[in-house]
Amino acid sequence: MADTLDKIIEIVAEELAVDKDEITEESSFIEDLGADSLDVVELVMAFEEEFDVEIPDEDAENIRTVEDAVNYLEEIL
Amino acid sequence: MSLKTELCDILEIESPIIQGGMAWVATGELAAAVSQAGGLGVIGAGNAPADVIEKEIDKVKSLTDKNFGLNIMLLSPFADDIIELAIEKNVPIITTGAGNPGKHVKRFQENGSKVIPVVPSVALAKRMERLDVDAVIVEGTEAGGHIGELTTMALVTQVVDAVAIPVIAAGGIADGRTLAAVLALGAAGAQIGTRFVCSTECTAAEEYKEAIVKARDRDAVVTGRSTGHPVRNLKNSLTRKLDKLEKEGVDPKKIEEIGSGKLRDAVVDGDIKEGSVMAGQVSGMIAEIKDVKDIIDDIIRDAESVIKNNFNLIK
Repeated sequence: MADTLDKIIEIVAEELAVDKDEITEESSFIEDLGADSLDVVELVMAFEEEFDVEIPDEDAENIRTVEDAVNYLEEIL
Repeated sequence: MSLKTELCDILEIESPIIQGGMAWVATGELAAAVSQAGGLGVIGAGNAPADVIEKEIDKVKSLTDKNFGLNIMLLSPFADDIIELAIEKNVPIITTGAGNPGKHVKRFQENGSKVIPVVPSVALAKRMERLDVDAVIVEGTEAGGHIGELTTMALVTQVVDAVAIPVIAAGGIADGRTLAAVLALGAAGAQIGTRFVCSTECTAAEEYKEAIVKARDRDAVVTGRSTGHPVRNLKNSLTRKLDKLEKEGVDPKKIEEIGSGKLRDAVVDGDIKEGSVMAGQVSGMIAEIKDVKDIIDDIIRDAESVIKNNFNLIK
């Protein structure tokens, strides 16, 4: 869990150009971290690459926070 | 010999030109005329309900046997109904705008429709390629209506590099030179909107068409940046008012509210002062209203001559 969370925070920090300290499990990509819908598409692609999975759009649209991403990836991995 | 690309084979059209699915403007009459003249005509569903669009589809089918498309605006309150209608009516080609059509693509494909999403970024283009869509439309900020940030020149080139499927360029294309330019970038064809507004077959109000003909290079301005959904439209009382309110820091929701319904006022009622005269940066290039067939024939003839002349640059 901690491992997935760390990786996700790292990807989010890199993709959205925000400091790691600003990111918590509750952070919403769009509301808290200033992403737009296209940034979220890029974020999902980065998760796919890092974890070597494919995230279909039906699932991707429910990944709105760091916690959502962690839970989703933990479940499918 | 004539100008052909892989897009012509995929869509079974004569010339690599597709008409933009402009809300209110892209009616059955315009779409049928474009398809009949060798391009791909596209009905724009915009925010219209399914019964209205059903009539437009029937109109196209009664006017031409050629392929045509339907543009589904995914943010429309009627999007789900329009998707069902497209399937029921077996619309041959579906283009989508204003969002990620990912979860609907398979249904269209299973129904035998070709799917061509409008994508505003490399990442979304790659995701669409993974779903086996037939092509993507890449629209630069030169376009009219709702726009993105990147220019056609920068975006088309990067998407062409990122995907193997055909890329259709949009935004800034209105004549043979601009078509030849996007083919040089690696596009397989062009989606053209504003130029087709100024056609005799287009059912939009004459005032709207004339406003585009009269427009100069800097007249197609962007409003609503604060809302996150910027719109390119011709400068008038409405754009000045929105500009002023945005500068005063008025709540983006209020800006959105003021802009709502204004496209209809311009296109249907011909209110070019207080309506939103959505049009692209090419407006200044458009000097006359002419038949769709002449628009397409002139673009293709000029593009061919540009391509031939460019060959002579190599000495």
